[in-house]
Amino acid sequence: MSLSSIDRLRRWRRAMLGCVMLLGAAGWLAAPAMADAPPAADQQTVRTWCAGCHTEDTPGQFQRLSAVRKSPEGWQMTIFRMQHVHNLALPDDARDAIVKFLSDTQGLAPSESAAGRFALERRPNMPDLKLGDDLPDMCGRCHSLARVSLQRRDADTWLRLVHMHVGQFPSLEYQASARDRYWWDIATKQLPAKLGAMFPFDTQAWRGWMNRPHADLGGEWLVHGHSPGKGDFVGTLSVKATGGDNYTAHYSLQSPEGKPIGEIDSLVRVYTGYEWRGSSKVGSVDTHEVLALSEDGRRLTGRWFEAAHTEVGGDVVAERAEGPAAVFMVSPRALKIGTTSEVLIAGRGLNGTVTFGNGTSVKVLKASPTLIRASVKVNDKAAPGPRAVTVGRTSAADMAAVYDKVDRLDVQPAYGIARVGGGHIDPVTAQFEAFGFIESQAGQAPVALGPMNVSWKVEPYNADAVKAQDVKFAGRIQPDGSFVPGPGGPNPERVFGTNNAGDLTVVAGLDQEGKELRGQAHLIVTVQRWNTPPIY
Amino acid sequence: MRPLIACALALSLFGSQNLSARPALRDYILTGAKPDHLFVIDAAARKVTSDIRVPDANGIVGLVVPSPDGKRAYVLVNRMESISGIDLDTGKQVFRANLSSGDEVVHSFFSVNITPDGRELIVHELPTKRGLNEYHVQEPRFAIFKTDAGLDAKPVRVFPAPRRVHLVLPKADGKSFYALGFQLFEYDLATGKKLGERGIRNWGRPGYSTPDMLAFWPVTEPLDVFVTPVYSTLGTGKDAIAKTSLMKLDLKSGALSYQDFEDTSAVIFSAVASPRNGEVFTVYTQLSKIDTNKGVLVDRVNLPHTFYTINIASDGHEVFVGGTMCDVAFYDPDTLKQRANLKLPGCPDQSISTLRVIRR
Ligand code: HEC
Ligand code: HEC
Repeated sequence: MSLSSIDRLRRWRRAMLGCVMLLGAAGWLAAPAMADAPPAADQQTVRTWCAGCHTEDTPGQFQRLSAVRKSPEGWQMTIFRMQHVHNLALPDDARDAIVKFLSDTQGLAPSESAAGRFALERRPNMPDLKLGDDLPDMCGRCHSLARVSLQRRDADTWLRLVHMHVGQFPSLEYQASARDRYWWDIATKQLPAKLGAMFPFDTQAWRGWMNRPHADLGGEWLVHGHSPGKGDFVGTLSVKATGGDNYTAHYSLQSPEGKPIGEIDSLVRVYTGYEWRGSSKVGSVDTHEVLALSEDGRRLTGRWFEAAHTEVGGDVVAERAEGPAAVFMVSPRALKIGTTSEVLIAGRGLNGTVTFGNGTSVKVLKASPTLIRASVKVNDKAAPGPRAVTVGRTSAADMAAVYDKVDRLDVQPAYGIARVGGGHIDPVTAQFEAFGFIESQAGQAPVALGPMNVSWKVEPYNADAVKAQDVKFAGRIQPDGSFVPGPGGPNPERVFGTNNAGDLTVVAGLDQEGKELRGQAHLIVTVQRWNTPPIY
Repeated sequence: MRPLIACALALSLFGSQNLSARPALRDYILTGAKPDHLFVIDAAARKVTSDIRVPDANGIVGLVVPSPDGKRAYVLVNRMESISGIDLDTGKQVFRANLSSGDEVVHSFFSVNITPDGRELIVHELPTKRGLNEYHVQEPRFAIFKTDAGLDAKPVRVFPAPRRVHLVLPKADGKSFYALGFQLFEYDLATGKKLGERGIRNWGRPGYSTPDMLAFWPVTEPLDVFVTPVYSTLGTGKDAIAKTSLMKLDLKSGALSYQDFEDTSAVIFSAVASPRNGEVFTVYTQLSKIDTNKGVLVDRVNLPHTFYTINIASDGHEVFVGGTMCDVAFYDPDTLKQRANLKLPGCPDQSISTLRVIRR
């Protein structure tokens, strides 16, 4: 038996024991929409609902509660535990108000949440934070280390968190990657000091941030973004303050070709002065936006996603509409030598002659200060490489790239996970994208061409996957690179009646003058997660 | 309707043998299932003779520990916080120990067993103090209960215990017991004094990695021998070979041994030692037969689905597999062919429950 198949067996065994052991774990409800009622809270609200157990030792200092700082979702998860494990009967509006108040007064500075933002943004298939040798197994095997990084507390309070884990989940020490070591000793004697030094309660960053007045986000914004599998988008965002860091927002979005995508209304609450949480509907689909305001208050960046399928979403950037001229995005980015293509330039204060550099000629088809549609012809003699795009006196480096041949396809994510559905749980899809590159001369970075139009297929990852016919059972990849897993539960057609899990290679193919360029990624199709907490 | 039937069945259970002049002992299989079932199965008749509903089981009947005389079964219920003792003749709860009390929540991770005289239960406890706004995990301990303590049993002796114990096995002489965890520990039953500790983590097999074991089915019948698979790698780097070995603990002599029988080629959850010819049978998605005299895998067959637990007829003439789903299957130990498959009434999930065999 090959080593890889032994790994496979181990993984199964580990997964099995994992499920077996977590029987006692509390389930999660879906994240509540956080932006529908404008709350107002102060210390008195915390006193009313929390001080019964979290004794107020000195005015405003509540035991345990005052010794931690976290993200809004972190507060939401903790309070969920207070309700469902400690039987706190808390009305929704009081809960929302307390989450807001504690996020503002015991939150994270932008620099503190930066590393773990991908978890707040629910980005699928992200490699976890690298936090040393022992933490991945000790703390990063049930949830992400991003969850750990999104908290600030001192050593003694990290220790109390370890007690909560083992007290609440007594099987923890018996599980794979815990029973192979003196888990309790390491977790109680070594890690608290280490975590306390890495993520301490009192920081310069937070002191600086917490006393800054919150920026008013009201006004007009210019939006651009990219949704994997769907493509780029541009548009506008109008934001109106409704009081208490709540806003209504209206997005008006279109594709680069000018096709309307949607007129979207969102209810927004801003936590900690920069954490934008929006809830909206695109068509009939509930969606959220998790964005962060830059420290200068002029730019929002983050991700939108479907509420019920957080893996489906895209990158969003919004820039203040007022401001100096700038080019934000050119779509598409890659321009092939010897061809003419239509491109969209999105920016602010755009005015003047458009150029894409040597060997190109540009014809503007339609122009406004924020959007220019142009036809760009690339001569046979043009040199491959990155291009600055200039509009009048505004220039932005590396906005486009000229290429003759794609040298490499880089499929992202390189390692993806999809999950079969089952019961009331929907399958989790996996979206792949193929990024093109030109390999450059030695010492120079490869030239990025952006997402390419490719054909998709899946192949067995290894001999075991061939034998188990994973390609047949595990699911289908769509033309847009989205993998949709097969149905959940035992499949009587499979050996041992096993479920539709699989081990697959995802292959992107690009036809270049009759020759196929391949790029590939690894896809694991596995069983459902029974709970999807707000911070994975 | 269901409880009435269960009671009726419970009353008739074992009835037949009282009628015969020289009762031949029969094998009965015990298994638990969600949410509160304790089934008694007449092995030869392939029949469920009793479907007992354990009071306040709260989810799952996990560990099953029969008394040595086969009259009672002690089951771990209430999410590992309570032990319920059931009279198998009446189906009534005759013993109950709720391990948690006051501000202390106590779990036992499958580490409950009974002394050979049937008088005491040995329980490895994991206590946590729940304060107003914090948990305080306490040091684990062994608690000894009298089996005649009734429905509000409290421990009669308590001793300090190591962490991460997953199995308690009494020695056949009744004077000491083993606890399986990081090491194989032995304790004096009366005083709680640690009598010894043998390597599991550092098992002293040159060239082998630290072994991985997770056994929480204390099946030692019919030989008073406990066997379980142990996983390790032999060698390092490119030449490393994954090894499955059998750990064997003889509860009569106290002898502990490890035997290799294959480079890892299947997942095995549990094992049982047969009274015939030094054979050991193991199970997961496959049923395997190992000859421990020669240290070789003799035969292996695919099962229709995964079974977590295995046991064997007292005379070794039949192998039983169960756990996971809602059936118990009977296999020929020579051919590994299925002889029968018994679906539990209502098809409740046995999940991680233990398959035990009593003789009545
Ligand atoms: C019924 C008692 C009770 C009430 C009321 C209660 N808590 Fe707790 N809280 C606990 C207990 C017990 C713990 C320790 C175990 C744990 O972390 O779950 C705890 C722990 C905490 C912690 C520390 C968790 C960590 O990050 O390590 C925070 C923060 C907290 N509670 C916040 C709150 C807030 C906010 C409220 C009011 C909305 C509240 N609690 C109300 C019982 C309570
Ligand atoms: C056995 C799986 C497991 C391991 C190992 C684990 N965690 Fe957790 N952790 C959980 C679960 C489950 C929760 C959610 C608890 C809840 O709120 O119900 C959690 C919650 C948390 C939270 C959020 C708590 C809050 O109230 O905001 C933090 C922070 C955290 N874990 C850190 C750690 C650290 C640090 C370690 C390593 C010492 C660790 N975890 C190891 C399962 C695990």
